[in-house]
Amino acid sequence: MKNLSLFSVFIVSTALLASGCHRKPTSLTPIPPVEGPSSQTTGGVGSGAPLPSEPVVTATPEGIPISYAGKWGDLFNGVHNEDRDKFKADTVYFDFDKSAIKPSEEGKLQDVAAYFKGNTTDALIVEGHCDERGTEKYNLSLGERRALAVREYLANLQMDPQRIKTISYGFSRPVDPGHNEAAWKKNRRGELVLVTPPK
Amino acid sequence: MKIPFKIVLAGILLAALSFQTRAQDVIQITKQTTHLIPISITGFTGEAESVLEFDLSVLGMEIKEPADYIISGKDDGRVEGSLTRAGMNQPIFLRAYAGGNTRSQAHAFANDIVKELRQTPPIFQTKIAFRVGRGGSSEICVSDYDGYNPVVLTHDNALVEAPSWLPGGRGLLYTSWMNRNTVQIYEHNLATGARKVFAGYPGLNCSAEVSPDGQKVAMILSKSGSPNLYVCDLDGSHLKQLTHTRDEDSCPCWSSDSREICFVCRSGRAVLQKISVNGGQAVPVHVSGVYGNLTAPDWSPDGSKIAFTSGSGNFWICVVPAGGGEAEKLVAGEDPCWAPNSRTLIFTQRRNEKRVLCLLDAPTKHVKDVRQISGSCSEPSWAR
Repeated sequence: MKNLSLFSVFIVSTALLASGCHRKPTSLTPIPPVEGPSSQTTGGVGSGAPLPSEPVVTATPEGIPISYAGKWGDLFNGVHNEDRDKFKADTVYFDFDKSAIKPSEEGKLQDVAAYFKGNTTDALIVEGHCDERGTEKYNLSLGERRALAVREYLANLQMDPQRIKTISYGFSRPVDPGHNEAAWKKNRRGELVLVTPPK
Repeated sequence: MKIPFKIVLAGILLAALSFQTRAQDVIQITKQTTHLIPISITGFTGEAESVLEFDLSVLGMEIKEPADYIISGKDDGRVEGSLTRAGMNQPIFLRAYAGGNTRSQAHAFANDIVKELRQTPPIFQTKIAFRVGRGGSSEICVSDYDGYNPVVLTHDNALVEAPSWLPGGRGLLYTSWMNRNTVQIYEHNLATGARKVFAGYPGLNCSAEVSPDGQKVAMILSKSGSPNLYVCDLDGSHLKQLTHTRDEDSCPCWSSDSREICFVCRSGRAVLQKISVNGGQAVPVHVSGVYGNLTAPDWSPDGSKIAFTSGSGNFWICVVPAGGGEAEKLVAGEDPCWAPNSRTLIFTQRRNEKRVLCLLDAPTKHVKDVRQISGSCSEPSWAR
């Protein structure tokens, strides 16, 4: 019985989302919090937040559109803490002039996705960085493309893309100011910053 | 009727002489365009002298004997002087300059000399904007084209990049990180100092460029999911997405008629493309003769050519005809921006852990450093 009503809620809310309706459905009963191992048909915890398997925005040929609506937008725009240490070991590295997530980096992002799957309050900022071998405006776009590549990878691991903010720094925030490959490879990176609400 | 041999011979000699004269004229013109013109400057002192030397050097003239042209005059009270071709008794012109100060009078005199000897429009009283980096942050600075009279416009102690001029030099657009975890385009009014967010969409907002006719702004936004090229009206309205690919775009610049935008797309490697302001299919700008990444284009105000940067780390200023074709490598450096005369370029060189601004006379490849202010100076934009 419980499964049937939850299933019908799933159908109705999906239909409402697909129709672009943003009003809270008035005919639905509030969904009680679900405990234990997550089941395929549940997700939202009563806040009206979208189910993880139903992205709010449709991916376009160029990627997943960016918007910071609702709870994550409030967190990013409001008072919050930023922790650069939590995912420091998960900094993603890129090949020169590339934004693809290399196989060697995938495990890091799987660990990050697992953290957010078990967490309902925190969000993520991905900073995209480049080495010095590009002109300034070019590096700004490349840094953003790298941050977005990390975001897309995490979204494909069922993380809500609205929970991930990207920001590019081009070459303006190098880790190593050296002029050799040892320095450059450290600078071509996506840094992951954990965003938590105030205690 | 048989023509007497002597007359035939005379005819041949005359023809050969006149041909010789024409050929020499042709050589002379080419030499003047691509070679430095030797000049002498006499009678001036202090600032007047240094301004004349600097300005004329920027347009490919050097103080050298024997001089082709003599610039002589004085500057007690006001700048006055003449330009005379070597060997002639009468000057080409003789003028006096009033108002402003010594620098501006000397700039005006230099403008008149260049108009005569290079047939190009004046640039010596124009302005540039650029980024100056100090420590971990940067600010936007405006100065005379030669780096004098610098004014630092921002004091945000944040990252800021990519200044570009609004019509009539009344203000600037620039890319700022001043609002936490955002990259937004700001509009800054020079007269009042007032500024506001011009483009603050989710994601990246950067690299704004105003069209030559002052009607539109091209910029890079990532809100669609990848950095793509957009245009909007000067007031920010009527936003239109022009490119729709996963390969990120960067570095927009306008054609002289404001109908096309040249930009960089990283598809495989960084290449130059063009697209109509009304949208449609982007087409490549075919560039031969230089290899590697091609970035940071700027379209000359007369519409004839596109300057850009080639290379990754080892950067070169290059110029290609606007329709595509064989590119010419000019000098080591990056991020060129044309002066209003479509002949002079301002660009950046990396030297000794910082960046400096330089001026390039494209035909002669002659380079002059802009007067430096303290800090690392880059991303120049010339008010046109």
